[in-house]
Amino acid sequence: MATETEFATHEWWESYKETVNSDPEMQVRGHDKFSENFYVEIGDERVLLEMDGGRIANLVPNPTLNHQWSFGVEGDREAWEEFVQETPPAFNHEIIASHYRSAVRNEDGHLMLTGNNKKIFQNLRAFQRTLDLMRVAHNNGGS
Amino acid sequence: MSETYQQGEIEPITGKYVHAEIEGVDHRIYFEEAGPEDGIPLLCQHTAGNNCQEWRHLLTDDDITEEFRVIAHDLPYHGKSVPPTTQEWWKEDYTMTGKRFAETLVSIADALELEDPIYMGSSMGGNITLELADWYPDRFRALIGLECGAHSPGFYIDWLDHPEVNTTEVNAYSCWGLMAPQSPEAARRETMYLYEQGATGVFKGDLYYYSVDHDYRDKLDQVNADECPLYVVNGEYDYLTTPEDGRQTADGIGEGAIAVEMAEIGHFPMSEHPELFNAYVREILDHVTGEREEDLPDVLTPDHVGIELHPPAPAREKPAE
Repeated sequence: MATETEFATHEWWESYKETVNSDPEMQVRGHDKFSENFYVEIGDERVLLEMDGGRIANLVPNPTLNHQWSFGVEGDREAWEEFVQETPPAFNHEIIASHYRSAVRNEDGHLMLTGNNKKIFQNLRAFQRTLDLMRVAHNNGGS
Repeated sequence: MSETYQQGEIEPITGKYVHAEIEGVDHRIYFEEAGPEDGIPLLCQHTAGNNCQEWRHLLTDDDITEEFRVIAHDLPYHGKSVPPTTQEWWKEDYTMTGKRFAETLVSIADALELEDPIYMGSSMGGNITLELADWYPDRFRALIGLECGAHSPGFYIDWLDHPEVNTTEVNAYSCWGLMAPQSPEAARRETMYLYEQGATGVFKGDLYYYSVDHDYRDKLDQVNADECPLYVVNGEYDYLTTPEDGRQTADGIGEGAIAVEMAEIGHFPMSEHPELFNAYVREILDHVTGEREEDLPDVLTPDHVGIELHPPAPAREKPAE
């Protein structure tokens, strides 16, 4: 499906925020308690997602020492562009998969988790779903 | 494969318990089966921390159960196979090892008096085919290792058994990305639901075998695939044991080992995309029985087996402007 908005532009992030904040799964099974801030780093560009109750409260480009976060995801733009494809290629199709290929198998071209592992696992499904919704937003509702 | 049922229809699966001795201790093992009593026994092993329900679609596949007696069991501590009643099991962490796992499978096969069975398992159930071919090459007619590798490090993770983590959900969704995104969402969600039924510490305990104890990188010459044919069958989206890992494992074993990649599927093939997997495994089983004379392809694709993939449906509509 054609992408309407170029990946990771201001308009794209705003559309993504709307997607996350209206997603039913983010409000069930305890995901409405997900309030850990995390950042997404796409190449050299970092955006902080300030989470509140399973919703994105604020998107903060280029966060500074005045901001706080618990964990983050880093990767080059090519890896993220694979991640958001409607049917993403193997190993960049989900965050744990991608991190595993980076962290355990020492491969390039994948995403990498950083920060507080305990908080990642305490919020794993809500965090994972939030990232998966990048794909939904990018493909205009595609899975 | 019939997946549409009528009101009142009963599936042709029966469930029973058999007693099997493992490391000198009696265990009550739950198993389900379907197919003719004199069919070729096909013993199916679930993945780490899961249970025999992963195989329910193979158990109801008429094409398979016409010829094969499909048997899927729950390992001790999994599903309906309760811990041994004679042991104070609550005083120690559950920990699986290759020795215990292989002995369990042979004991179950013996208890059920299976003659010349085919063994098939996925993930930890795939890896154990190497130990079975090493230690018990005479017990099985063939071994099918799904999502199998000589070594699968990095998944023995402390957070999978931690009091400050919701391990019910985490043990499931740490595996979410092991499935192919194009597998049907309902089937992937059911696979997660099955994972959420596991007892505390069991998934992590199984992963001790999977990621720590199992290491055949320097022992592949001990795997007797020349005595017991071994199929290493890995899904394209399996990031733990990739199809390339499977090829290297089969190459390292040599004679009798065959690697096949399953395209467009992941680490839980039998439960994440049953229609596609059942068609794939039919090709493997036909090779085991000799019904298929030609070599298996390096990569099995949906086109090979006449399965049309359902394009990913929109998860949800885009919110109205």
